[in-house]
Amino acid sequence: MADKSFFIDTTKCTACRGCQVACKQWNMNPATKTVQRGNHQNPEDLSYVTYKLVRFSEFETNGKPVWYFFADQCRHCTYPPCKMTAESLGSKAITTDEATGAVLFNPKIKVKADDFKAIRQSCPWDIPRWDEKTQGMAKCTMCIDRIKEGLLPACVKTCPTGAMNFGDRDKMLDMAKKRLKEVKAKYPKAELLNADFVRTIFLVIDEPKKYHKFAGVDISGPSIIATVKNLIQPASSPAG
Amino acid sequence: MSVITRRDFLKISGVTAAGLTLSQLGFDLTPAQVYAAELRTELRIKDAKETPTICCYCSVSCGILVSADKKGNVINAEGDPDHPISEGALCAKGASSYQIAVNPHRLQKVRYRAPNSDKWKEVSWDWALDKIAASIKKSRDKSFVEKNKDGKVVNRTDGIASVGSAAMDNEECWLYQTFLRSLGLVYIEHQARI
Amino acid sequence: MTNHYIDFRNADVILNMGSNVAENHPVSFKWIEAAREKGAIFIHVDPRFTRTSTKADIYVRLRSGTDIAFLGGMIKYILDNNLYDEFYVKNYTNASFIVNPKFGFDDGLFSGYDPTKRSYDKSSWALEKDENGIPKRDMTLQDERCVFQLLKKHYSRYTPEKVTAITGTPQEDLEKVYKVYGSTGKPDKAGTELYAMGWTQHTVGTQNIRTMAMIQLLLGNMGIAGGGVNALRGESNVQGSTDQALLFHIIPAYLPTPRAKLATLADYNKTTPATKDPRSANWWQNRPKYIVSLLKSMYGDKATKDNDFGYSWLPKLDDTQNCSWLVLFDEMYKGSFTGFFAWGMNPACSGANAGKTRQALTKLDWMVNVNVFDSETGSFWKGPGMDPKKIKTEVFQLPCAAFLEKEGSVSNSGRWMQWRWKCANPPGDARPDGDIIYDLFKKVRALYAKEKGAFPDPILNLKWDYETKGHFDIHKIAKELNGYDLTTGKLVANFTKLKDDGTTSCGNWLYSGSYTEDGNMAARRKKVDPTGLGLYPEWSWCWPVNRRIIYNRASVDLEGNPRNPKRALLKWDAEAKKWAGDVPDGGWPPMGTDGFYPFIMKPDGVGSIFGPGLADGPFPEHYEPLECPIEKNPMSSQRINPVIKIFEGGPDVFLTCDPRYPFVCSTYRVTEHWQTGVLTRWLPWLIEAEPQIFCEISNELAKMRGIENGDWVLVETPRGKVEAVAMVTHRLKPFVITGQTIHQIGLPYHYGWLYPKDGGDTANLLTPTIGDPNTMIPESKAFMANVTKIKAKKA
Repeated sequence: MADKSFFIDTTKCTACRGCQVACKQWNMNPATKTVQRGNHQNPEDLSYVTYKLVRFSEFETNGKPVWYFFADQCRHCTYPPCKMTAESLGSKAITTDEATGAVLFNPKIKVKADDFKAIRQSCPWDIPRWDEKTQGMAKCTMCIDRIKEGLLPACVKTCPTGAMNFGDRDKMLDMAKKRLKEVKAKYPKAELLNADFVRTIFLVIDEPKKYHKFAGVDISGPSIIATVKNLIQPASSPAG
Repeated sequence: MSVITRRDFLKISGVTAAGLTLSQLGFDLTPAQVYAAELRTELRIKDAKETPTICCYCSVSCGILVSADKKGNVINAEGDPDHPISEGALCAKGASSYQIAVNPHRLQKVRYRAPNSDKWKEVSWDWALDKIAASIKKSRDKSFVEKNKDGKVVNRTDGIASVGSAAMDNEECWLYQTFLRSLGLVYIEHQARI
Repeated sequence: MTNHYIDFRNADVILNMGSNVAENHPVSFKWIEAAREKGAIFIHVDPRFTRTSTKADIYVRLRSGTDIAFLGGMIKYILDNNLYDEFYVKNYTNASFIVNPKFGFDDGLFSGYDPTKRSYDKSSWALEKDENGIPKRDMTLQDERCVFQLLKKHYSRYTPEKVTAITGTPQEDLEKVYKVYGSTGKPDKAGTELYAMGWTQHTVGTQNIRTMAMIQLLLGNMGIAGGGVNALRGESNVQGSTDQALLFHIIPAYLPTPRAKLATLADYNKTTPATKDPRSANWWQNRPKYIVSLLKSMYGDKATKDNDFGYSWLPKLDDTQNCSWLVLFDEMYKGSFTGFFAWGMNPACSGANAGKTRQALTKLDWMVNVNVFDSETGSFWKGPGMDPKKIKTEVFQLPCAAFLEKEGSVSNSGRWMQWRWKCANPPGDARPDGDIIYDLFKKVRALYAKEKGAFPDPILNLKWDYETKGHFDIHKIAKELNGYDLTTGKLVANFTKLKDDGTTSCGNWLYSGSYTEDGNMAARRKKVDPTGLGLYPEWSWCWPVNRRIIYNRASVDLEGNPRNPKRALLKWDAEAKKWAGDVPDGGWPPMGTDGFYPFIMKPDGVGSIFGPGLADGPFPEHYEPLECPIEKNPMSSQRINPVIKIFEGGPDVFLTCDPRYPFVCSTYRVTEHWQTGVLTRWLPWLIEAEPQIFCEISNELAKMRGIENGDWVLVETPRGKVEAVAMVTHRLKPFVITGQTIHQIGLPYHYGWLYPKDGGDTANLLTPTIGDPNTMIPESKAFMANVTKIKAKKA
């Protein structure tokens, strides 16, 4: 089985939240108690039982309303920092499925609160979640059980508009780049978020932060090698 | 203790973008462990019986495939990929169909609320249908109008009204209107009017 | 719908006005995206910027209740700029017809108005006929009394300045929409319109839709792939339940309910639509076959020629009686009924002025409530403000099977009749509705057989043999809908086989052809698409006679060639003398040879740009909502629709231009809930996503009222109060209407006091008892309200 990826085209998302519920349905994840907070986004955030969440972001530009939807989920990184962190902490809770590239949390392996904190902080997209009761971690599984049988992930299958896509990584990258080119004509700020490092590639038409605080990550910057070399040296404490 | 922070990872990612691999930088990339046995990898609907139906909400009529286990319990409901309109898609409502079938709030017993009572009482179907039939007859016989004020034959029951239901199947709707009209009802309305 | 969901992809321009397609028909957005991928332009016109608007190529705002002004301006634009499809208008519409010289229009009133009766004498609206009874026409469209010239005159008043003053839509936005939509008047272009309750729930609801139908006729967009006027209906089988006539004014398949003056079947048949024009097919001339076949389905062998096939057993309405929803609950409120069925419905939350409805339920002796979950209707006696000890109403609550626990067919908006299979058993003692109805009637009949009683004939003579081995058999009803040849006992092939002599039966002539000797057509699942237009003729079945796009003969020229060869819906094969493509609207040869006009359900055979049949005028005219923010209608001295029925007294209070209720308010739905939430509020995943009632408020209004996002607010009308969480948003903006700033608010009606306890109650506690004069659908989309912050409560 080839390396897999999601392509999430936010320009086609209508926030029907089929993906959010289909994810819960397939994974038999319970609902959480929520309240209306003056915003359609609910639950408020990802959780141990919410792997997929449509984020709503609303503001005004030139006197016109702008409303972005961001179907957030694990990015299934090519080099998952959560896994590296877990390993460095001696935890076997995170694995990568070699065939697909899916990054998997084993919810049955207990993780200490502090270790989880470090793992969560290592994720640039703020995805990992933990349950105090079971001490296990959880997040999007890439529907590994489905894709191994040739089915689409539940969220992708249920998407009506073509916002959610899934398939072989090279095909998804091609699709993403082609779509980016089309979209750029109208929205010059359009970009693919961290496409080279993640298996969940989002296409956005505006600054990522306008969608969600952790939507995209700025990977530009000087002295990269020096920084990384520093990184490999044991750090004194987890950074915030 | 060596941990990687969110901020640090960005920089590592930058490295790979610059064409370096992490192994070149000294990371051990060998998979740390085999895929955990405890994690569910078996398709949970593998042996289930799949039956197609049509979503009960809006009128787009998306196809749904419902999976039931050997005991007949619903275990999954997702889009029908063969359906030409929905092609496997479902919105939040359609995607939650499982919780219609498996829901502790479902009405499972016939209930009766007596005049001036403050509670429900569980009753049998037979008892309830007998009592409803008797109520229908009483109301009908009392309110039946053979001729209207102009002396024209109208043969109708003015004392009973009905609303419902676009949630029923075509066949049930037809049966229901036939039932109501044979009783003489003219106050027959439903969702289409609101 | 004239067309169907997949057909959206065949459009060049999609106008979504009067609905919120992405939120309320989410999966259909697939086909809007498919059209957009091919370059189609998607326009959304709505008072609110919604999830739909985020995907619109053009989004334009208008004040709720001003659609006729907006569209009237479009008619003027199309005419002024010669964007109409001249061939289509001349040949396929009544634009060339001559109107009675007495017809007139002055200051908001058409000729024939009687202010005491609040109704029109419509005789002066008639179309003129020649000595042979054939409509008079001027094919040059120049006669000053022809429909086309009268249309021009009527809409010349809808200038951009006037339209902007009424709608609050900036003129440049109006022009943008008019220009793009007007571009579909060419034969190789298609424009479609998608509407829902955003158009129907007004005191001018029918005319909203008619205005668009007129535009579609002017642009040649009816009967073509990618065209049509498409109602996005709100329930999985509300099309089917309407077809089966769960409404007071019709019996199955749109036959009119008999009235007192039509004492015999012969009297009834005298009202059959007629024409003297030999070129008009006038399909309704077959009505006598359909009524007799229906009576044969209802009464079987007991229906004979000698007893008028049991016609006298059908209940008759008084000659002008209206028993529609609002009247029904008004009568219930007055104590007119002892018994009531709320079958698969939750009127305590779903109807306008829900507070009145809840009071009305206390006046009953008994109520039967059938549903999947408990509801505010079944449990009304323990609701807010109710004292169970004082409420006499007996309630029978019957648990029914959910959709996936039974089999049967449902009809979607595109008229596709699709079979559902049974996936699981219902829980506990719950039973399918059909089984409940079947057994209940048996009990009623046994009582009448034993004890007699008032006029038992229709009960004792009703055919009730829909069982197999002692169990209710839904297939037997499905076959009854299709109909039988009673001389052979075989299922008929379709409605052309039906007769008026009692030798055929058919429960619903429109469904004839759905279950034939070849099997259950609704259960078909073969995916072939020979036209490439997405018609899928072998997937399920579609009424009538599997025709996927109705009025499709309007898609061809006089010789039967497709006017748009790129999207050829029909084509006449002159050699084989038959049509290829969709099932044609009648198999006759093309109109240019010796065929018929394309609009075969109309007595004149053409589309009605002039519509003399409606209660409120042959041309749509802008009137303000019953409750509105402006004292004077800028179009005329008639502030409100002059023929609406006003309910007076008791809980029916209306206040217009009252400073206590200064804001325009609408009710609506969100994706995650359905109707009153009677199914969806009980589902944890959906209540997680949309847990509580909210009220959308613009930033400007919030500032004015000192309301912050997430505060609890009180929304009030003279009829009721609802508490809601404020959703302060950029997506609503104040309008400038005739120089005044007008704020618009809105809230969903999905919630109810019963469950969840902190969800809030229904927005229908606010809405007025007032209906469209043609349909009596309530005006829930435009009424006046106030909103204030609740100080003590915080979300």
